Amino acid sequence: MSKYEYIPEPALVKGNHDFASITKLVTDVNLRPTPKLWYLYMLIANALLGVFLVAVGYLIWEGTGIWGLMNPVGWGWAIINFVWWVGIGHAGTLISAILFLFRQDWRTAINRFAEAMTIFAVICALMFPGIHVGRIWVIYWVFPIPNQMYMWPNFNSPLLWDVFAVSTYFTVSLLFWYVGLVPDLATLRDKATDKIRKFAYGIFSLGWTGSNRHWWNYEKAYMILAGLATPLVLSVHTIVSFDFAVSMIPGWHTTIFPPYFVAGAVFSGFAMVLTLMLITRKVYGMEEIMTNDHMEKMNIIILVTGSMVGFAYMMEFFIAWYSGVEYEKAIFLLRATGPYAWAYWIMMLCNVISPQVFWSKKLRTSVGFTFFISIVVNIGMWFERFVITVTSLANDYLPSSWDYFSPTIWDVLTYVGTFGIFFTLFLAFLRFLPMIAIAEIKAVLPQADPHNYDEVTKEYVPPVVEVPKPKTERV
Amino acid sequence: MAQIFPKWTNQVPRKILIGLIVTANVVILGIWYFFSPKYTDVGYAPIQPVPYSHKLHVDKLGLDCQYCHTSVFDSKQANVPATQTCMNCHGQIKTDSEKLAPIRESWETGKAVEWVRVNNLADYAYFNHAAHVNVGVGCESCHGRIDKMEVVYQAEPLSMGWCLDCHRAPEKFLRPVEEVTTMGYKVDDQMLIGSELVKKNNVSPPQYCQGCHY
Amino acid sequence: MSEVTQNTYWKSLNELAQNQEYKNFVEREFPENATELNDGVSRRGFLRVMGASIALAGFAACRRPVQKILPYSHQPEDIVPGIPLFYASAMPFQGSLTGLVIENHEGRPTKVEGNDLHPASHGNTNAYHQASMLEMYDPDRSRRPSRNGAKSSTADFATFASEYFADTNKRIAFISEANSSPTYNALKNSALSKFGNASWVTFEPFGEDNIIEGNRIAFGSRLRTHYNYTNADVVVSLDDDFLAATHPNNVEYAKQVTGRRKVTSTSDNMSRIYSVENGFTLTGSFADNRLRIKASEIGSFANALAGALSSRINGLNAFSSVNNSFSNNEFLTALADDLASNAGRTAVSIGLDHSAEAHAVVAAINYALGNTGSTVSYLEVPHFDNQNNMEAFADVVSGMKAGNFDAVVLIGTNPVFTAPANLDFSGALANVEEVIQLSSYSDETSKKASWHVGRSHYLESWGDGFSYGGARSVIQPQIQPLHDSLSEIEFLSTIINGAKGSGYELVQNTFNGYYRTGFNNKWKDILHDGIDITDGFNAARVRLSNSIAPASESAVSGIEVVIRPDASIYDGRFANLGWLQELPDPMTKITWDNVALMSPNTAEQLGVKNEDVVSVTINGTSIEIAAWIQPGHVDNSISLTVGYGREGIGRVADYDNEQKAGGINVYPLRSTSGMLFNSGTISASNSTYAIACVQDHHSLEGRDMYRQASLSKYRETPDFASFAYVHKYEVPGMKEAEEMDEDAPISLFDEQTYPADEPQWGMAIDLNSCFGCGVCVIACQSENNIPVIGKTEVNRGREMHWIRNDRYYVGDDTGSPQAVHQPVPCMHCELAPCEQVCPVAATTHSDDGMNQMTYNRCIGTRYCANNCPFKVRRFNFFNYPKEYLTTGEDPDIIQMAMNPEVTVRFRGVMEKCTYCVQRVNRAKINTKIETGSPKPADGTVKTACQQACPADAIYFGDLTDNNSVVSQMKHNERNYLMLEELNVRPRTSYMAKLSNPNPVLVKETNQEPAH
Repeated sequence: MSKYEYIPEPALVKGNHDFASITKLVTDVNLRPTPKLWYLYMLIANALLGVFLVAVGYLIWEGTGIWGLMNPVGWGWAIINFVWWVGIGHAGTLISAILFLFRQDWRTAINRFAEAMTIFAVICALMFPGIHVGRIWVIYWVFPIPNQMYMWPNFNSPLLWDVFAVSTYFTVSLLFWYVGLVPDLATLRDKATDKIRKFAYGIFSLGWTGSNRHWWNYEKAYMILAGLATPLVLSVHTIVSFDFAVSMIPGWHTTIFPPYFVAGAVFSGFAMVLTLMLITRKVYGMEEIMTNDHMEKMNIIILVTGSMVGFAYMMEFFIAWYSGVEYEKAIFLLRATGPYAWAYWIMMLCNVISPQVFWSKKLRTSVGFTFFISIVVNIGMWFERFVITVTSLANDYLPSSWDYFSPTIWDVLTYVGTFGIFFTLFLAFLRFLPMIAIAEIKAVLPQADPHNYDEVTKEYVPPVVEVPKPKTERV
Repeated sequence: MAQIFPKWTNQVPRKILIGLIVTANVVILGIWYFFSPKYTDVGYAPIQPVPYSHKLHVDKLGLDCQYCHTSVFDSKQANVPATQTCMNCHGQIKTDSEKLAPIRESWETGKAVEWVRVNNLADYAYFNHAAHVNVGVGCESCHGRIDKMEVVYQAEPLSMGWCLDCHRAPEKFLRPVEEVTTMGYKVDDQMLIGSELVKKNNVSPPQYCQGCHY
Repeated sequence: MSEVTQNTYWKSLNELAQNQEYKNFVEREFPENATELNDGVSRRGFLRVMGASIALAGFAACRRPVQKILPYSHQPEDIVPGIPLFYASAMPFQGSLTGLVIENHEGRPTKVEGNDLHPASHGNTNAYHQASMLEMYDPDRSRRPSRNGAKSSTADFATFASEYFADTNKRIAFISEANSSPTYNALKNSALSKFGNASWVTFEPFGEDNIIEGNRIAFGSRLRTHYNYTNADVVVSLDDDFLAATHPNNVEYAKQVTGRRKVTSTSDNMSRIYSVENGFTLTGSFADNRLRIKASEIGSFANALAGALSSRINGLNAFSSVNNSFSNNEFLTALADDLASNAGRTAVSIGLDHSAEAHAVVAAINYALGNTGSTVSYLEVPHFDNQNNMEAFADVVSGMKAGNFDAVVLIGTNPVFTAPANLDFSGALANVEEVIQLSSYSDETSKKASWHVGRSHYLESWGDGFSYGGARSVIQPQIQPLHDSLSEIEFLSTIINGAKGSGYELVQNTFNGYYRTGFNNKWKDILHDGIDITDGFNAARVRLSNSIAPASESAVSGIEVVIRPDASIYDGRFANLGWLQELPDPMTKITWDNVALMSPNTAEQLGVKNEDVVSVTINGTSIEIAAWIQPGHVDNSISLTVGYGREGIGRVADYDNEQKAGGINVYPLRSTSGMLFNSGTISASNSTYAIACVQDHHSLEGRDMYRQASLSKYRETPDFASFAYVHKYEVPGMKEAEEMDEDAPISLFDEQTYPADEPQWGMAIDLNSCFGCGVCVIACQSENNIPVIGKTEVNRGREMHWIRNDRYYVGDDTGSPQAVHQPVPCMHCELAPCEQVCPVAATTHSDDGMNQMTYNRCIGTRYCANNCPFKVRRFNFFNYPKEYLTTGEDPDIIQMAMNPEVTVRFRGVMEKCTYCVQRVNRAKINTKIETGSPKPADGTVKTACQQACPADAIYFGDLTDNNSVVSQMKHNERNYLMLEELNVRPRTSYMAKLSNPNPVLVKETNQEPAH
């Protein structure tokens, strides 16, 4: 055989799917009558949402004092959760935008609900900057609105950058997601039988006819938005990291934060996508579209980003020592050995050690194990934010102000409550919107290739070589 | 299959978009205008327990502001006059006027006359009359033409922006200290005189927060 | 002027009390634009409660509260609305006065300051003086007399008195607190002459009996020892904490002692202070050489010292034979040498509560050293009773038990709570027909009294008296009594004459007696100056009696339990003052509770740690109290403080079961045989009790916030405090700065430029003067309307004090470390990290160089607090002022204690030290009006902390004026910046501490610099 021999990728969609079957598989989920279980889950999610509302209501009534905050720890769970959710909200846009620009076709199976997940996560995140302030009723002062006081916000403040960064990211992600949805909404509209569905899907599909011109515009718009979204994926968490990096507290004042935060974000984002994907595909029988190959690819990304994060941890220590700043040295030693050592070692275990197991092919292709790790990673990432936020504040320059932070029940409830928001939205999404980008997934079917397609075998047939028949196993 | 949407709906998105833009602007401008102190506060003229006419006393009888507001040059408060001050004259004249009954009552009982405050600054804004009049900020600059008021009303918005207008450019408003209580003070070359006064009294109004807020 | 305030004050207050809208208004928790409304409770809110100002009469328009203006009806000529007035007065405490000046806003006292002309004050105060302001407005103060618990009135009491005391043969026991008032003592004498069967004792749980008795033993007459530390090169304190507010003359002494430690150049000298004590006191932490011994060994130490001196100087032969465990003690020998070689310029003192004999020994030592007249004088105090009051008191109590008294008249004292337990005072009361008590609060004794009469506060009644050193003053009321109460002289005259009489006349008559001529002018001057310089106490010519002998030694072999007054609430009389309850103990930094202090070793032996409850037992009586480890405390010794564990006194004092705050009553352990110390047993229990301590970490971690050196080291290397010397390298960024010839390290941010015509404010804190008393904290709290937040919140680490007093232990923690104090207010950094990060520009920089916090702009992100390297920012996590200012049936009263010039902060906003901007601005405006200059002259602006500080440790002023004191301090080589390497350029700087230890003992005290 020649060394130019062409080895094709294994097919992205397993099973003998054609366009019709794909459409059916996906749209049925939305069009078939609602399953009882869905209501049950929705009920639980709503209960959690209720918890959130109560917690926030009480917070606004009583004041931030109901949380465990104090001198010197002015930021606690609220900010931790904010950063954590924003981080999770990175996978979606990364998958859809960056992988799109890099022509990674495997993204098509997961980008739709990864994006959905992103948007919902960012919504959860956005709750916190709002509610954590002391006087929420004047929060609008952070927006540059002309007023009779002649006052502008302070454009030096990273918090202000945050406001813009996160809201921009949210807007663009939303648009990007919606544009991607349009053709599929049209499909649903056409498939729908009852008036209401027709009407609703009709409205949002903006009169899509699938004409050539529509497709042409669509591709352009999608491309442009992908271009816009890509830098945002990197910028948003960079700017979130500035909240810490720009301040002058030992353990915060670190130039490594931007890359390290972005890596961490992707890390946790992918973990979350995996967690959700593995459940969803099981429940809705989508294993043929969201295959184990996808899972493996994502595990590899987790391995890579996990290692980057690990490297960042080591680097912080090195720099702390290398800088010769006694306060830096002190805080990093305290993190590992001080009152919060427990949190630090949980973080190390979950973020640095656990992903390393994915070097083994066996483990990174094992569904159960992946599911487990994906959850461990997100726990770890929460603790990373805890370690950064709390330990640095609790032991800064003047030993006289050192104190120990402990959360109250309200910290916990507020955090738990955000899962209510998240799952309420996510369940609604699964029920009413196509969880897989139908149009895009079709484009990666062999049938979509006008050449090299054998009508008989219904398989991809390159001119020269024999193609090994990919095994079509079912999970 | 049957069309769900008639043809005209093609226009809807565009129309909605334009509609949104218009309403947004209307709302913003509306709030901007109607919620501003200029609109809400200026002209506030509560009924006073005694229908005291500044017009009569200042314009007709030519009382100086300081006859009643004695501490305006010394204190942060201009001082609303004690009943005593009224009685100085009304001990002799109009001693049986109906309108003056509350004054006489207060004088006998020693209970205060409850005047209603007209110019009311927010509690977190510190204002000092002496600091202003002593460098030549005229009474009328903030209180308006009191001498023309039958019933006193709020003449200026007293908003932070309004304060800053003068604190940023005092020369536009300053007058010689001896002219402070003059009503209807007017000069042609205000900017010139103003800037001289600023130099002369080296006036540098604070524009930093704690000039007024602490 | 009191006449003036009367009607106006009550008028507006009543109107408010009835005014429903006003109540709604102040109690509205969470309306739209809440700041405006709630700040309404603040500045104007308080003006509202006053004569010439505004009363709120409800909401007319939707967002516009209608405010009423209530001018005077008859305008008093001396009050100009909006301009504060200052009147002299004086605060009685422990039978002596401290001269004060009271700031009044429209007839409403709002702040206590020291009186420059008064020797016991020199313009400064202590925490008790500052907090006495709050005491007057305390809503829990006794509102009216009560007859057998039923509401009554002073009129009824007068009627009762006129009938009951008509019979002059009544057997009456007068039990009075110590009182220096000549008027009072005149009344006392007439009482004793009127009632033939009456007997009079003065009872103070921590009085000066033992000093007086000691002097009687030594010199044959009952005298008060008065030191003049200005002349003392060597100061020796034998367990005498004369720097603490618990000492009746601490302000004067602090002034004198620290005055001898002002070092501005290497050629200056310092006094040397020795301290010998069991616990760790302020004086001990300020001393150059400190020795830990048991309190019960102090007597032996005094003997040994006298013994050691007997071989070095004449006149102590009586002690030459002394030989005890201390006789060959290294510390003692060095001390004796030092004393002998500085004879005449030394001052030896011993704790008030130590035995009379020990006091006699010390008197002998001072006498032999020739200190009498130069550093020590013995004052003939006219109002001293000619008896040992503690014994007399015991006799009276047993007399009461035996039914020898028809009536007991208690004046200002609360013996049921404070009397030695073994006397069973409350039991004795049962055998007395009429128990009549005058007291500020309805306290433990009041509950047992047949007549309780509320006592007028010194700020609302006429009085007089002498300072500790004998300066005579008049107590001038600032306001009419808020309640139906009597001053002690009115009370006494009621009992004698059956009619209240006017306090004013009583006092005036007394002073009339002092002058033949020109009384009226004299009287005016006295009221104006707050002091009558014409005469004071005479210093007695003393000769040491030949019968002087070593004190009997009573060292406790096992565990000794030492009982002392509490630094915050003294003997319990200040227990209801939130400011003091929340003032961290100067040494332990504990708030709201008392604890059993013990050394680390003792704790280890007992197997207890902080917050473990231990039970302390003395002859069968025991209490359960939380243990606390006090480094530097002597082993096998437990220190307890009294005054806590109250019931039915007031909402602050009472033990709070919900918050578990209020401490334990220790008096049951105190007996006539062991007033100061007693041998006891202590055992750990398995329960714990949460203690709210504001400082968790006590070591400097080798960091350089606190810099110090010995005087000799300072002379070798005057720049020992500089960054370069401490770190052995330049401040980062300085080299670059020099290249660009700038004087401060280069900065990333564009630096603030300051207009030339603005003053530039700065502060310097002299750590060599500061001894950590914490009066600055209370003064600040009083000046700036800082709320009291309660134990729970303090325990969560949310204390609100704008200036805190950090206390670090330097050197070996277990043994005898050094304790250092460092006051930390806002540093007002020129490149303030907080300003950079606030999203709404609520904290910014002013043209006069202050870091300004604009409450009404703050949205409460707390980012500024996080980014503050000094952690001086304080956040209103809850609506603290609401709890503090609007609860109770008449919140208006406590509101009147607020400073109308300062906004009361609403929940959700950040706050911090403002360099007392309200004072700065007032001075700037006045200077501008008077002189046209925008820069107030040096000394016109004093921050509250600076003004209160008896050590003059705080300098504040204009840095653009090179002659201002603060500028000069900042040019001193001891001046250094905290965290200089951060280049935030603090406007507040520190002057490194110096110490002057005895070279011989240099190993014992830890002289390692703090890094």
